[in-house]
Amino acid sequence: MARTNVKRRRPPTANQVTAYLLHHLQSLLFSLRKIYQAPTTTIMTVAVIGITLSLPGGFYLFLKNIDAISGDFRSSTQISVYLDLKLNEKQARNLERQIADMDSVSGTRFISREQSLQDFRRDSGFGKSIDTLSSNPLPHTIVVEPGEIDTFAVRNLANSLQAMPGVKIAKLDTEWLERLYTIIEIARRSVVIITILFAFAVLLIIGNTIRLDIQNRYQEIIVTKLIGATDAFIRRPFLYGGVWYGLLGGIISWLIVEIGYLAISGPLERLNLLYKSDMNLITFSFQDFIILIAASTLLGLAGSWIAVARHLNQIEPT
Amino acid sequence: MIEFHNVTKRYESGFEALKNVSMQLGDGQMAFITGHSGAGKSTLLKIIALIEKPTRGQALLNRINLNNVRRQRIPHLRRNIGIIFQDHQLLFDRTVFDNVALPLLIQGYRPQEIAKRTRAALDKVGLLHKEKSMPITLSGGEQQRVGIARAVVHKPMLLLADEPTGNLDPVLSREIMQIFVDFNRVGVTVLVASHDLRLIDELEMPRMTLNAGQLILNDLEPAADGDRFGSY
Repeated sequence: MARTNVKRRRPPTANQVTAYLLHHLQSLLFSLRKIYQAPTTTIMTVAVIGITLSLPGGFYLFLKNIDAISGDFRSSTQISVYLDLKLNEKQARNLERQIADMDSVSGTRFISREQSLQDFRRDSGFGKSIDTLSSNPLPHTIVVEPGEIDTFAVRNLANSLQAMPGVKIAKLDTEWLERLYTIIEIARRSVVIITILFAFAVLLIIGNTIRLDIQNRYQEIIVTKLIGATDAFIRRPFLYGGVWYGLLGGIISWLIVEIGYLAISGPLERLNLLYKSDMNLITFSFQDFIILIAASTLLGLAGSWIAVARHLNQIEPT
Repeated sequence: MIEFHNVTKRYESGFEALKNVSMQLGDGQMAFITGHSGAGKSTLLKIIALIEKPTRGQALLNRINLNNVRRQRIPHLRRNIGIIFQDHQLLFDRTVFDNVALPLLIQGYRPQEIAKRTRAALDKVGLLHKEKSMPITLSGGEQQRVGIARAVVHKPMLLLADEPTGNLDPVLSREIMQIFVDFNRVGVTVLVASHDLRLIDELEMPRMTLNAGQLILNDLEPAADGDRFGSY
């Protein structure tokens, strides 16, 4: 009973917060219906946004994969330390212990001369000719794992190993790695530039779509202004329109990239088999997906905001 | 409700649509503005609806000076007014119900309240059975009645109508005018611009006649002396 009494006394208008939220919900549904009612425009706009965003998205994934592969290389950076032939095994083992105790070294592996010879005989196929040799020409070898993977630190370590007594050659083969990293860095920056450019493109596409939308609904805007609608009220459905375009475009771009990667995964697996490597194709993580969708949605909002700010205020009843 | 003190409106082209017009429309009154097309009827209504501003003189709505209303306040002032256009200005992408409900939506009414009041307004103009129709399927007279329902749904203090019967035949016109008279009976102030002199004569309502921007006939009591408010 008390409830009906309270109800009767309630004012006809909802309180401001409720009214505000209510209109947001209405604008959201209204803009969604508008999009649904004009499928051609929507599909075209969304497709353009999707294709545009799939480029930086695809490059990003490419880079992520390259990064993963090169990361393996990076962690496998080793220095091969070939010892003086005059050193016997005990001296060599002592030297290994000495190197292993160094701060900048994370691990060592000792390969004796005999072991080296056996390996060589097995792997090279020159077994017979090696047997003709009177003595073992191979030195003891210590494989050193650097503690840090920074190229400068690794090179320093190689230099100091080289300077140790009993060491013939400390060999570090990283030049090709450095080249690779430089190329990756160039690619990375290119992706940043491409992303910025294409984000701008999306901003313009959405801005233009919303601008046309505003023009198409010129009469409606005037009528609602005359009925007492505030600028914010009129703005809202257009902003939601931009949000929808951005959101749908983001999903399309994600689909395009995923399908693209599915298409190249076949040959890549064959390549994997040929190289006996176990590199796996990385696709978008859940986090990447969320970032992509959020970014394109934000671009949609920003694009429509620009269009609305530029064009809505110019429309006044006369 | 409405006061004009020596209002002059000159458009950018140099055309003077209103020349030194003074008039006054009290709360709950109903009046007609007549005159040839181009005599300034629409301009007068536009000043009240805050679409145009006077070039000189003062226009007041509910004692609020319309000359210097801030842009952000305009929507809120317009909510006190119901405007009916000659070409009804319905939105053709939504139903009759949604058209009529729009002012309530704008003002943040609760959904149940919107449904109740919208149906009441449609009932008043005899179109409750058409609430789900699209405006394009209605006849001209029905469309105009939907326009009236939209103008009155939020119970404005003032109804402005610009040639509301311009496109209608005499029978329908009489019907429409009768709706205005009915609203006036329940206390709404009504100002109708029309050149349908025969119909106005029938209704025996006060009349203001404009000719080339000047008020040449005024059945209403004259406005207070403009100088008192300081015309500029």
